[in-house]
Amino acid sequence: MQTLTIIALAIFLLSYVVIISEKIHRTVVALAGAALMVLLGVLTQDQALEGVDFNTLGLLIGMMVIVGIAKESGMFQYVAIRAAKIAKGKPIVIFLFLGVITAVFSAFLDNVTTVFLMVPVTFVITNNLRIDPKPYLISIILFSNIGGTATLIGDPPNILIGSASGLTFNDFLFHLGPVALLSFVAVMAILLARYRHAFVTSDELRATIMKFNPREALTDISLLIKSLVVFGLVFVGFLTHAVTHIEVATIALAGAALLLLLTLRDPEDHLREVEWGTIFFFAGLFILVTGIEHVGIIEAAANWMISVTAGNLAITTFAILWGSAIASAIVDNIPFVATMIPLVKEISLAGNIVDPAPLWWALAIGADFGGNATIIGASANVVVKGMAEKAGHHIGFFEYMKIAVPLTVLVLVISSVYIFLRYLV
Amino acid sequence: MTNDKPLHQCTFTIDEWMREDVVTLPATATVTEAITMMLEHKTNGLVVTGAAGQVAGILSSWDIIKYIVPDYLEDDGHLAAFESPDTFCNRVEAIKDDAIEQFMTKSVQTIEQHGSLMKAMTMLSEFHIRQLPVVDAAGKLVGYLNRTDIKRAVGKVLGIGSHLE
Repeated sequence: MQTLTIIALAIFLLSYVVIISEKIHRTVVALAGAALMVLLGVLTQDQALEGVDFNTLGLLIGMMVIVGIAKESGMFQYVAIRAAKIAKGKPIVIFLFLGVITAVFSAFLDNVTTVFLMVPVTFVITNNLRIDPKPYLISIILFSNIGGTATLIGDPPNILIGSASGLTFNDFLFHLGPVALLSFVAVMAILLARYRHAFVTSDELRATIMKFNPREALTDISLLIKSLVVFGLVFVGFLTHAVTHIEVATIALAGAALLLLLTLRDPEDHLREVEWGTIFFFAGLFILVTGIEHVGIIEAAANWMISVTAGNLAITTFAILWGSAIASAIVDNIPFVATMIPLVKEISLAGNIVDPAPLWWALAIGADFGGNATIIGASANVVVKGMAEKAGHHIGFFEYMKIAVPLTVLVLVISSVYIFLRYLV
Repeated sequence: MTNDKPLHQCTFTIDEWMREDVVTLPATATVTEAITMMLEHKTNGLVVTGAAGQVAGILSSWDIIKYIVPDYLEDDGHLAAFESPDTFCNRVEAIKDDAIEQFMTKSVQTIEQHGSLMKAMTMLSEFHIRQLPVVDAAGKLVGYLNRTDIKRAVGKVLGIGSHLE
């Protein structure tokens, strides 16, 4: 191996090990690794910057600004409170509704944002009904990851894959939407059966829910209208971007600019709310991956994988699906997917795969669903655990796995059948 | 405009205007003990001291309010209107034996007793704080300066106040 190859691989592996160990903040590690790739001569600065996918970064920043402003209107809380009232305060119906809301929100919002919105409202509802919030918290974790799978913007791995593969928003919706829906139904049915005895409350307590006036959650009607208009336009933009050829980053950033214009708010406040740590983490990762790609490591790994699978599309697809799921259950799925993207590109090139779409779907499903298996498998899981802890509810590592691992295996089996029937027969 | 009063009449020092009867408690005190002291002494601020009499923190009723409000409501104020009516009781019961060191304000500005009152007021204004523990050269708590003490000093300059004390 050439010196440069060894240096690139060492920087990459060392960075990933430290990121996984969580000893140092992942953003700092990714940036330090990226800097080393340039300083030690693996990449020039121009090559490093070319590796950064600004379409992904722009989409993330735009959506963070839009959601940050919109959530101040109370619209998301309104929906959940309204649902509890429509459910007439019945715990089992509320469980179903909150699950649906979580899945739908997370299909269009980032998963962490979704759980930040859903967990507080869940505590308020379960406190009023004097029931154990834990089944609800676990369902929020599971459905935020399942719902996020359905769209290009629902989960960071999908954003990465969408931007790199050229697959459109509608492609994601039509190809991943059905499998997310099937998985939702299966998981919901099992959770309802499992927790059916936990859904007990009194008529008196249900009456407190019936006294809710959901409109009290809407603190700013004018902001609500402006936010809905912008959400609508952005959504139409996503649905039509295959036709208009306007990239998703442009759509999201234009939406952010429009909402800032309509509300005439101080942009400083809202730009501060953007999770810059996440944005720079992505930037660092892109450069790390570009480093090992540049010296030919990704290509070598792709060739090795093709030799193992003999270039068989079905075997490669399932290897990616289950491999990604196992990896994402243990480590952060973002660095994993960032590395897999050039690998999948190489595999489809070297293996002469005409339509690599099944490989992309397998990667997205594996990474998104795999994150459900453990309480550390996805950022949203960790956030829910932290919020629950602060409110005095402990979700144990194995306690969670006992429920989540079988359900994750189930949705992966469903996905395997789906992929097989739809793409490989 | 210049001042024609003699300098000594117009010199205000901290030790002249601070109060020496400071209500203190140790960091290991519980919420129940802190609330009892605050109610007894009709105060919103207590100085937390360490074994050697040094300032370890300040506990204000504001700290206690923030501690009682569950984090998930602080994160999402839209929901406060819907929270169960018994949450207040439940939270108070749940935290009553917690040590105040878990939530007191630990980074405390203090001021040395021989400084000028202007220095103390500059700190109050710069850090938006309501009270200032006063310490001696060894860092031991000797007094306490709050906004009422400042008002008394302002009253002195204006020639009002002495009959109000």
